[in-house]
Amino acid sequence: MAQILVVDDSSTVRDAVAEFLRKNNLDVVVAVDGKDGLSKLKNDSGIKLIVSDVNMPNMDGLTMVEKIRGELGNTSVNVIMLTTESSPSLKERGKAAGIKGWIVKPFKGDVVLESIKKLLV
Amino acid sequence: MDIKQRITLLIALSVMAIFTIGGSSILLSKNNAAEVKKVTEDVLPSALSSADLVSQVKEMQLITMSMISTPDTNLANQAKDKLLISKKNLQDGVDFQFAHADGNTQHGLIVQTKENLAEYFSAIDETVNFKLSGQSDIADATYFGNVVVLQRELQQIVDTLRIEKSREKDLAIAELNNNLSATVTGVTLLSLAIIIGLGAFGLILYRQIIYPINRMQEATTEIASSQDFTHRVPVTRMDEIGKSIVAFNIMIEKIEENSILLKQKTKDIHTMLQNMPQGILTIAEGNKVHPEYSAYLETIFDTQEIAGQNFMDLVFANSDMGSDTLSQVEAVAAACISEDQMNFKFNSHLLADEIKKTMPDGHIKILDLSWSPILDENDHVIRLMLCIRDVTELRALAAEATKQKRELEIIGEILSVTQEKFHEFIISAFQFLDENEKLIRDNLHQNNEVLTQLFRNMHTIKGNSRTYGLNHLTNIVHEVEQEYVCLRECNQESVWNQDVLLGELHSVREVLEYYSNINEVSLGRKGPGRRGGIEHFLMVDKRQIMQTIHHLEKATYGNIHDLREAHGAVSKTLRLLGTERIIETLEGVFGSLPSLARELGKIPPIVDIQENGYVIHSQASSVLKNVFMHLIRNAMDHGLETPEERIAQNKPQAGLISLEMDVQDGMLQIKLSDDGRGLALNRIRKMAIDRMLVSHDDSLTDQQIANLIFLPGFTTASSVTEVSGRGVGMDAVKDFIYKEKGTIKIRFTDGNIGADFRQFEMVVCLPEMLAESIDGVHFHSAYQDKFDLAMVDFKSNEMTISKQA
Repeated sequence: MAQILVVDDSSTVRDAVAEFLRKNNLDVVVAVDGKDGLSKLKNDSGIKLIVSDVNMPNMDGLTMVEKIRGELGNTSVNVIMLTTESSPSLKERGKAAGIKGWIVKPFKGDVVLESIKKLLV
Repeated sequence: MDIKQRITLLIALSVMAIFTIGGSSILLSKNNAAEVKKVTEDVLPSALSSADLVSQVKEMQLITMSMISTPDTNLANQAKDKLLISKKNLQDGVDFQFAHADGNTQHGLIVQTKENLAEYFSAIDETVNFKLSGQSDIADATYFGNVVVLQRELQQIVDTLRIEKSREKDLAIAELNNNLSATVTGVTLLSLAIIIGLGAFGLILYRQIIYPINRMQEATTEIASSQDFTHRVPVTRMDEIGKSIVAFNIMIEKIEENSILLKQKTKDIHTMLQNMPQGILTIAEGNKVHPEYSAYLETIFDTQEIAGQNFMDLVFANSDMGSDTLSQVEAVAAACISEDQMNFKFNSHLLADEIKKTMPDGHIKILDLSWSPILDENDHVIRLMLCIRDVTELRALAAEATKQKRELEIIGEILSVTQEKFHEFIISAFQFLDENEKLIRDNLHQNNEVLTQLFRNMHTIKGNSRTYGLNHLTNIVHEVEQEYVCLRECNQESVWNQDVLLGELHSVREVLEYYSNINEVSLGRKGPGRRGGIEHFLMVDKRQIMQTIHHLEKATYGNIHDLREAHGAVSKTLRLLGTERIIETLEGVFGSLPSLARELGKIPPIVDIQENGYVIHSQASSVLKNVFMHLIRNAMDHGLETPEERIAQNKPQAGLISLEMDVQDGMLQIKLSDDGRGLALNRIRKMAIDRMLVSHDDSLTDQQIANLIFLPGFTTASSVTEVSGRGVGMDAVKDFIYKEKGTIKIRFTDGNIGADFRQFEMVVCLPEMLAESIDGVHFHSAYQDKFDLAMVDFKSNEMTISKQA
């Protein structure tokens, strides 16, 4: 079963998203920041999709995705970024890193669910 | 002929040309070869052998001579043998020459040679015989006498033959050379002609192919640079290229059609953008507003600096949106533009759909925003489209309509209750509220007994209110009542707070006052009404109120025209509440005219009423009744003459009383006139002098005299009549009017200054607020008909109503 990696330093958001997705019969792995997310992805080949926050301590979400594409050479895993703001440089990097979905906070659970279903197909 | 056929023809012609050149070369060479053969095998050997003949003749001569001269018989015999051989050779040579003789000359020469040769041989044979027979002398003599002579002749003939042959040989060789050179020239010329012919054909073909292709290429280039799709390439022949050009032209025609369509569409869109009363803009990457936007946007934002602006500044600056919400909108725009369309779906719920924006002049606009993505062929959002509607007026109207609806509903509720009962309810409700207020103020802390009392009072109001179907009031009373219940039963959540409780009470009082106000002011039902009497207060059909509410409910709140119309209709209805037509107000006065006329020995007059679209508020009803009762009775009594007098003056038997309403200079003006004898100025003056109101010497204008009738106690009637002299004079009428802040005056309508009797009209002016215009009000037909009336005919006892033409 395809696993989903939820990366967010806020336990509130992380737990809420993870719980919501689990309720909807999705297999969820959580990570507390980019570094954690990177190692989780290294150790788990079942992860097919990442839902990640942008701003996080240790390693931000975009850097994590760039490392996944670069260091791990993983170009297949789809990424949905959760964000509160946007800048041209952020968009530029996101595009280069092949990020398909952007969800602006605050969001509704079913929006995330729908986007996940769309990107898991 | 198409190009394929023409190229095939060219190839075929080339092949034919090669064959022609080759064939003719072979043919000519063959002729030349035959001639060469003739020269080499015939002419040359014949010429050579003719030279041989000369030497053979000489050789024979030598052999003959050696034989004659030799004494040896053996040698002579040997010589004879040699002669035989030589003879044979010579004979063969001559035969050869004969066989190869050409022309008469040669033939003649050879015939001559042959004849000579025969003689020569016989002479030699004779000589040989003589020699061998030993007759050497005779042999010598024969030899020298015949052989040598014959030999000389022969020698000459043969020599001539040789010369002839040699000449023939030279001629043949020269001819051969000529022929060879002619052949070369012929073949060369033929080849040249064919090359030129084929070249010309090829050139024509080349031009036929290349020229149209070049023209097509030029046309393509020109169309590409000028975008002029009216260009066509002429078709000169229907070959493959011609067909291609036709196809090319059709393609250009199609492009032209599409281009025209595209131009038209672009124009349409441009026209729409220029004229639609809606703001439309698109947002490109970098949040910049695209230069193509609807012109109305400039009206909405009151600026022309739109293209290239950051939409966040343009739309949201000075709006009621918080900075966090704005940053969300900005983030959503960034998350959508140039991304997959799903991102729009995921995030569009965060885009603001209505904002309040403060304009530079300080007024606030309510803007309705609707967002949609513009997609490219890969379903990526290339731009965001934002439609902006200025709904300020719409929202205001909607709010007004809601308020009106509430008011109408409340009116409906009130009208369902009799005036008396409603009055009692309001009085008692206020008393309960007063009591509750006192209870709350007197108790700083919660007291359950007090709460019970508060509840009971409020509950009573609610019960009555519900009984009378006063729903709006019931609802708010219920809420406050439930607060009391909550305080009493679930005291953890609510606490006794005087201010809160008084506030709640105040809100009930406000609604109650609202009801009371509508009842008293709008519906004119002040006080308890007349118990058991006819409740003469409902001036507007209740059905009309229900229709108006229905109209309001039907109106689409998003449609400004609907709302405007509903608003207008409701406003009219509300304004017309508590109004009546002057016909209705003065119904009693007009109704009494027939009997009054009988009392005075007159014929009931015709009353002409011009309402001019005005009705009057019922609060003016009383003063109008009092005033016009008096004025009209005065007109009947003093103005209109008896039928006999009227007939004598050529007037119709029945008098005419005219009443006209109008609004002028902010005043409701009611003019009353009659076609009677007019104002008896002379008599008024006399009476005024009698009553010492003026002196004999006073010089008074007609107007001053007329105004005397407004003085207290003045009366012109010779005796107090049943009709008008009831102790209430014009001074009282004037007082009535003044109390209502109005005026009354007499205006002459003829020019007979100083006459005893002058035509006049009474002009009563009252504040405009006492009248209401009914223009544009949509009444249902029965009501409408009623308002079209202007003429009330009192000819008979029955009041008949006829429609004004």
